[in-house]
Amino acid sequence: MASSDPEKLMSKADKLTKLTLTRWSADWRSAAGLYEQAANAFRLAKEYEKAKLAFEKASKAQEMLSSPWDAAKHMESAGAVAKELGNWNEVADFYRRASNLYIECGRSQPASDALAKGARALEETVPDEAVQLYTEACSILEEDGKEQMAFDLYRAAATIYIKLEKYPDAATILLRLGLAADNCKAVNSQCKAYLGAIIVYLYAQDFKQAEKCYNDCSQIDAFLRSDQNRFASKLLSAYTEGDIEEIKRLVQSSTVSNLDHMIIRLARKLPTGDLSALKAYSGKEQEEPLDEDDLT
Amino acid sequence: MTVIDLITRVDAICKKYEKYDIDKQKELNLIGDDAFARLFAGFESETDALVQKWEAASTEKNRATVVAINAEIRRTKARLLEEIPKLHRLALKKVKGLSKEELEARGDLVSALKEKIESIPDGSATGPEQSTGWAASASRTGIKIDTNSGGRFTGEYFQRTEESGKFRQEYEMRKLKQDEGLDFIAEGLDTLKSMAHDLNEELDRQVPLMDEIDDKVDKASSDIKSTNARLKDTLRSSRNFCIDIILMCIVLGIAAYLY
Repeated sequence: MASSDPEKLMSKADKLTKLTLTRWSADWRSAAGLYEQAANAFRLAKEYEKAKLAFEKASKAQEMLSSPWDAAKHMESAGAVAKELGNWNEVADFYRRASNLYIECGRSQPASDALAKGARALEETVPDEAVQLYTEACSILEEDGKEQMAFDLYRAAATIYIKLEKYPDAATILLRLGLAADNCKAVNSQCKAYLGAIIVYLYAQDFKQAEKCYNDCSQIDAFLRSDQNRFASKLLSAYTEGDIEEIKRLVQSSTVSNLDHMIIRLARKLPTGDLSALKAYSGKEQEEPLDEDDLT
Repeated sequence: MTVIDLITRVDAICKKYEKYDIDKQKELNLIGDDAFARLFAGFESETDALVQKWEAASTEKNRATVVAINAEIRRTKARLLEEIPKLHRLALKKVKGLSKEELEARGDLVSALKEKIESIPDGSATGPEQSTGWAASASRTGIKIDTNSGGRFTGEYFQRTEESGKFRQEYEMRKLKQDEGLDFIAEGLDTLKSMAHDLNEELDRQVPLMDEIDDKVDKASSDIKSTNARLKDTLRSSRNFCIDIILMCIVLGIAAYLY
């Protein structure tokens, strides 16, 4: 059967599924088998368009057979083939459908895996869509209480945001990662996530946000007791003093080297922008009350 | 005793007494005058005495006498330096019969005298360096190794000889090297710590997965057991090796597929 022409298999399967006068009910079982074979054959022959179509039909057949697991598997293959073709909309679509089918099975891990695969496929070309997929995957896992698995996805999403230079979004995602880590008591990841968020804010020259972030995170016990907290406080005090040498020395330390790659790269590029502007800003805040006193 | 020795001795004695004479003369002149000049004269005489003592110390061969002389020089210096502020205040006081320029000159005289006193070497010239070295090592609070004993060595009791100086240098160098080594170790430990934390979290992540696998395999094995039991009942009727072999092959095929 492997040597059969995939076209022939396809037409045979189509005939099985079409309802005619002689056929009152579609034979989905054999059709599914034939579709799968045809799809594999097409993929080997590198005829991606046809392979994609075949996979889709196979998936539909499996759905009719009420086996969402197999249907989802075929959908994933269809998505992979669509990636080869470069139909980015379809890629996202297929992977989403696959993930929905997995959820129907009641298996959240494969569902999020499918979305993650889709996101990875779209990272280079449609990063916004990729980020969407990542966040959806994370929410699926969180609903199911499997936050541990979500860490990698959050990190990947943050990396994409940083590449897109959308720093507030990246910092937000890192804070969500910290929240997820908190739920499963992964203290180390949590502290690293918070430190990463502070560094992203500093890189974006948003000193106020960085300070606010630091204050918020200091409310959390686990962060308060950690190495990362000490490092963050040293970094922020070096910033308020405008001490460039100190900042450069601090970011060479091992605390930073344990963070994510993208964040290490950002940290090594600190301090960005005009430190004196930051100093003037923080100085101005103190001067203004004095001025008011003088006027009175 | 040779003539030359006699002559030098007499010269030294005359010089000493000359000084006293001049002082007496000065004092007679200045008794009606201000306290500043008196005090200043006293200071000058003492400073000259100190310089003489130092010269004696540098020519002295006996270590113990050198030690004693240096100690005395140091004590006198400390006393004089304490009195200097008083002198300074007197210098600034106006005195009748004294011109304005002389008043200003007095201030300069005081500071010049102070410098002269301080410049007298008293055998602990590297004292300030020692104390800063000690302070620097105390500020490296990370590793406290024997910082107490460092202070005692700057006291007057331990005089500086060449060997002790070299020893101190070596000690400082070794301490620096140790600190460098400890820094290196600290970095390595940091890396280890973070890796250990990550390992911990990864294992925590895998625990529920292992539990799931455990459950599934348990279920599969119980299914197989029940199937086996049923097959045994079915096969009891016909004893045929072929069927055994075929069934064995099927089971092996399923196992291979799973893996």
